[in-house]
Formats: sequence, C-alpha cells, structure tokens
Amino acid sequence: MANLSLPLRGKRIGKKTSGLRAGQLGFISGALIPLMLYMMFFSLLPMIWALILGFFEYSPIRAGNSFLGLGGENPFIGLDNFRAMFAESQPARVFRMAVVNTFMFTLLVLPINLAITLPLAVLVESVHDRLKGTFRAIYFLPTISSAVAVAIMWGFIYHPQQGLLNAILKLVGIIPPKAWLTDPNAVYLGVPLAMIAVIIAYIWQDFGYNLVIFIAALQGIPKELHDAACVDGANAWHEFWRITMPLLKPTLLFVCVLTMLSSFQVFVIFQVMTNGGPSNQTTPLVMSIYLNAFKYQNMGWAAAISMVLFLIIMAVTAVQFWLLRTDWEY
Amino acid sequence: MKRTLLGWLLVFAILISACASGGGGGGAPAPAEQVAEKVTLRLWSHQNAAFQKANEDIIAKFTAQNPNIEVKYENFPYDQYIQTIQTAMAAKNEADVIELFGTWTCSYANGGRLAEVPADVMTYEQAQQIYFKAPLDGYYCGGKLYGLPQEFNLENGGSLVNPALFEKHGVTYPPQWKTFADLIADAQKMTEFEGDKMMTAGFSAVTGDGVSFTFLAGILQSGGKYFAEDGKHFNFDTPEARQTIQMMVDWAQKDKVVDPVLFNDTENPVSTSFFTGNMAVGFVGSWAAGEGSIEFPDMKFDYVQIPPYFGPEHKFAADSGWGKVVSVNTKHPAEAWKLAKFMAGEQDGSLTWNIETKTIPAMKALVENPEQLLAAAPFIEATFGLLPFGQYIGDVTERDQLFYEIIYPAILEAMQGATTVDDAAKKINTEANAMVDAKQ
Repeated sequence: MANLSLPLRGKRIGKKTSGLRAGQLGFISGALIPLMLYMMFFSLLPMIWALILGFFEYSPIRAGNSFLGLGGENPFIGLDNFRAMFAESQPARVFRMAVVNTFMFTLLVLPINLAITLPLAVLVESVHDRLKGTFRAIYFLPTISSAVAVAIMWGFIYHPQQGLLNAILKLVGIIPPKAWLTDPNAVYLGVPLAMIAVIIAYIWQDFGYNLVIFIAALQGIPKELHDAACVDGANAWHEFWRITMPLLKPTLLFVCVLTMLSSFQVFVIFQVMTNGGPSNQTTPLVMSIYLNAFKYQNMGWAAAISMVLFLIIMAVTAVQFWLLRTDWEY
Repeated sequence: MKRTLLGWLLVFAILISACASGGGGGGAPAPAEQVAEKVTLRLWSHQNAAFQKANEDIIAKFTAQNPNIEVKYENFPYDQYIQTIQTAMAAKNEADVIELFGTWTCSYANGGRLAEVPADVMTYEQAQQIYFKAPLDGYYCGGKLYGLPQEFNLENGGSLVNPALFEKHGVTYPPQWKTFADLIADAQKMTEFEGDKMMTAGFSAVTGDGVSFTFLAGILQSGGKYFAEDGKHFNFDTPEARQTIQMMVDWAQKDKVVDPVLFNDTENPVSTSFFTGNMAVGFVGSWAAGEGSIEFPDMKFDYVQIPPYFGPEHKFAADSGWGKVVSVNTKHPAEAWKLAKFMAGEQDGSLTWNIETKTIPAMKALVENPEQLLAAAPFIEATFGLLPFGQYIGDVTERDQLFYEIIYPAILEAMQGATTVDDAAKKINTEANAMVDAKQ
C-alpha cells in the first residue's frame, strides 16, 4: 500500500495525476453535490426553518404577513417558547413529562438491549456455521417487520381481557392479570407499567439490528488474538473481557449511539400502543412535537421542543463519543 | 478546468431537468384556448368510504350540469388530513374547496386562510333559515360566514344499545328510561365481571369526546355556564362542573357500570367494544351507528335517545360537523363557491351526502321531511328530538387541546381514582384558562 502511494508524490507523475485528480474531483463533485443539495433542501433547510419557528408563535393555519408567513398573526416572541417550558401550564407540564419519559425509555432500552444482544451475538457466533444464518434470520425478522404491525401485535398480547399475556397469567395464577397499557396507578420502581410494556415490545422489535452488527464485529476480530490468549492460559471469561470487549469498543460506540438516537426519536410504537397514555406516562418528546405541531396548531412551540430534543441528542452523543473513544484500530 | 466546468454543468442540468419534471403538474402547458374554456377545481376531504362515495356522487352530478368545470377529488387518511391542509396552506397549494370540520373553521378563517361566503351565494340570515344553529355557528366567525355545513355533529343524548345483552340479563327492551338513574340501574344489571375484572361494561362514555361532551352538557343541564364573562376564558371550577365530574366518577366507583382502566379511549373504546359485544350501552355519536352498520352488518343494535343527566330537558353543546369551505387562495372563487353550494347549500346535494354518510343533516328541511334519510339510516331518528336543544360549543380557543389534553385526562384520572373531583375541576379550570391566555 505504501509503495503504491509513493510515486504519487513524485514531480513527473504529479503532472499526469493533476488531470486525473481534476477528473476525480469532477466525478466526486458530480456524485456528492446532488446528494448535498438533496440534504440541504430536505434536512438542513427544515432544521433551519424549525430553529426560526422556535422563536415565533407560529401556526400554519394563520396566514401571517410578510416573508414566509412570519410576523403579524404569527409574531416573533424571542425566547418565550423556551421560557414557557419551565412554566406551570399544561403544555409545559406535558413537555417536562415527555422529557422524563424519553430519558427513562432511552436509559432503560440501551442497557437492556446491549445486555441481550452482546451475549447473544457471542452465543450465535459460537454455534456451527450452518446454524448461524438461521439464528441471524430469526432474530433479525422482527427488525424488518412494520413498526405499526409490531405495535398492534403487542397491543393484542397486552389486551386486558382477551390478551395472551393475561390468559397465561390467569392460567399460571402467580400474579393477577393486569391492564398493561392503561393503568395509571401501576408503577414499579418509578417506572409506569405501560412504559415497561412498551419497552419490552420495542426491544423485541429492535434487538435483531444490534445483534447483526455485533456478530459482524465479532467476525472481524482476528482469530490469532484468541489463539494467543488461549496459549497464555486465558479462559472464555478472560477472553471475552480482555480481548473481545476492548476490540468491540468502536462497534459498541456505534451501537450505543444508534440505539440511543432511535430511542430518543421513538414515536410509532407509543402512538399505536398507548397514544401517550395513561395520564401522559408514555408520551415521548417526538409525540409531543407531533401533537403540538399538527393537532394543536402550536408549530412554534413544537419547533422549540424539537430544538431541545436536538440539543439533548447532540449532548448525549458527544458524551458517548468521549466515554467510548478509542485511539487505535486492529 | 474545462472538465470540471462540464461536470458542474452536467450536475446542474440533471438537477434542473429533475426539478422541471417533478411534481406532476409541470408538464407542457395546455393551449391557451383550452385553459380559458375549462376550469379545474380541486376538492379535498378525509378518507372514509361513505364520505368518499357521497362526494363522488355529488361531484358527478355537478360536473354533468357544469361541463366547463372539472373537479379533481383528492382524499387523505384522517390522521394526515389536518397535517396536509396546514402544510399546503403554508405553501398556498391547498385545494379550492375543502371539506372541513365546522369547529375547526374559525381557527382557519381568523388566520386568513378561508374565503368569506359571498352574499350572492348565501348570507348568514339566509343560512339561519336553512341550517340548525349548532352546525351553522361553527362557520360563523367574527360576524362573517365562512362555509356551508352538511352535518350536525351530535355526540350527546344518544347511545348504542345491544338488544342481545338486554335479553340475556332480562332487562326490558327497547329501553324504557325516564331518568338517567333508570339507565344506570339497567346498566348495572348488564355489567359482567370475571373475578374482579370487568368483562362487559353496562354503560360507558369514557372517550375523549364522550367525557368532554358529557362534562359540558352536565354543566348546562345543571343551569351553569362554562364560559366566563368575557366569553373567551372558562369557568370550570364551579358546583355544576364538580357535580358532573362526580356523576362520571360514580359510574366507575359507586355504580360500577364501567371500569375506566379497562374501558377508555386507548383500550376498548366505545366504538370498538360495543360492536365486539363488550358493552351494553355505549354513549357515542350517531356516526358510530352508521359506521357500525357498515363494518358489523350482522350485529343487531339500535341507537336510542337517553334521558338528560340533570333536570327535565336536554341541553348540550355540539360540534359543528363537516361542511364545505373555500380557500382564500383559489383562482376560481365563483366556480369554487358554485361547487360548495351545490354540495352543501342545496337540498339535493345535502340529502345525497347525509344519506350516503348516514349523518345527521345540518339542513332543517331534511329533518322536517326525513323519509328518504330514515330509509337509509333509521337510527338517526332518535336524535331528531334533540336537535333543537343543541347550542354551538362556541369559540373554545383550541377544541382538540381542550378536550383531549385537558378535560378528558383530568376526568379520567378522577374516574380511575388517581385524583379527587375537586382537584380535577381545579386542574381543568387552570389549564383551560392558561391555554386561552397562551393563545391571546
């Protein structure tokens, strides 16, 4: 690799490559600029628009005046939307509950997901090659299922009268049947029962994705390192903690960040299974944004919440990068 | 350099051609004489098989009579409908004629998004002669008329009843209720338990609309008012409001005709659990009977009038219901109003719409001569006696927020035993007025 790169630094070849590099640049520009423009129009501009709206009392049902419907009936209110988040009003109370719910959901989903997927990946990786594919396919199947279908299916399982779970509980008789998704008084260790029920359904659907990533990462760890550890007398436990885990750190970071991002942005499963209830115990931030923007016509307020969500995700991602940083590769 | 320049030009050429061909509406312009001759209107509604069929049939009649007007009818799933209208309005790309819920209309009209009904189409005075007050006033904002109603949306005063459960429990059928206490007594006989768990609710009104409309009706029937003196703020922390909340709490905790943990808007809503046989009497608008007759054709049920909660006569607040409005951005206002009037302002169009959607007419004449309508939707008859007692709900600032985020959750919590009646009333009052203040 090093030998190939050396001539490129030479003067004579430099002339030849200048044309090539211009061609490359043209190709790269041609490939990237459309994508960049696409991202600008459909990601960056909406983000900028949301940032602007956060400082207005904006509703799309009011025409407003001047540029882009801002001003007039949609007045500039500075930081009022952000200040209102600390007020004693119903929207502020729901917003604060949504923040707590979102953190609760993410902080429970992330470790549970890792606790299931990492050991499971090691187990799947340890079985015979012929069976690996079968296991991977079975575990990955829920991930490619429609989130709405999964939510409806789990809704049936949790149904208080005709649900499978209560039927089993009734049969076994250890604990009484429950209203899994609708009882506001059922709270365990500070976590509402409805939240626990949704987390179970969400992890069931989502864990296959991380599992496949971990399996791929495990396959990338050089076998020689395990062999050397074996020669040095390491047992399976030592191998996992001293070899596998450190070498999985970049993958772990990737999985943590992705799982956290998707958990912070969760919406469909809550919308279908609980609609945010009971008593807003399962209203996540994204649902709060959706309801305020499109149901209650408070788009300015919804935009302010979305900026808060953006900042939260950015901060937590930065912390994760810092905690799980690595300076080396293998 | 030349190659780079060529690369850039290629990229922009591709982009420009892609943009030019996108959107479906950017094709080659029609010849000028064709554009001048034919006017194309767009009509939007939400997706509902009966509503779509009704609109299509009326449009077919309209275009047959007006060959120079083409109507492109587009509809959207209910949950995306408001979203679509709002985003399209912001882009000034909404349809010319929009099927809009009356209670939402003033928000859009006050925001400058809707066109006022021209006097030569209909004045408010003429409209008062034609329509019931409750549906009409949803379209009357700041002294101006902004649309023509088609539906009297009635969520009050009627219930679905399941004759099989009446028979099973030896309860007289059809119901002979003289007071609301009679209804509750019958419902208690029909409530079924398995251990502690309620399997069949005798009576339920535990939905976002059911609880909220019961709350407002209870206040009115007790002689109270829910608007404060300024007509903008609310007065929900009153003896009348507390009495109504207490009545609903009693359904759950004293009478035990409904378990609000198991029967609510999320789990076992009335419109579902009634038709699966898990509810004997379900308090819901007559629209549910229309839907039920289509989706559960084999189930035998009726829609009956229920007695007032308090006092001798019905008083209730009603939503305005669906009707037709015209966008302020339409390029063809005369044709758009012609279509809107044909669909919602003339008897033929309105009758077709009400028959096919099985909804209560907003037009008085259709209730006065109901033979054709009742042949298609006999259950509507139970509501006819109620219609004169309805008043429009009024400018409640943000109806959905008030109902689904403030009134319903607070009363549901009280019914579930998570809060007291007094605290629920205080909470509703505080939050509802804070909502008004925030929107001032």
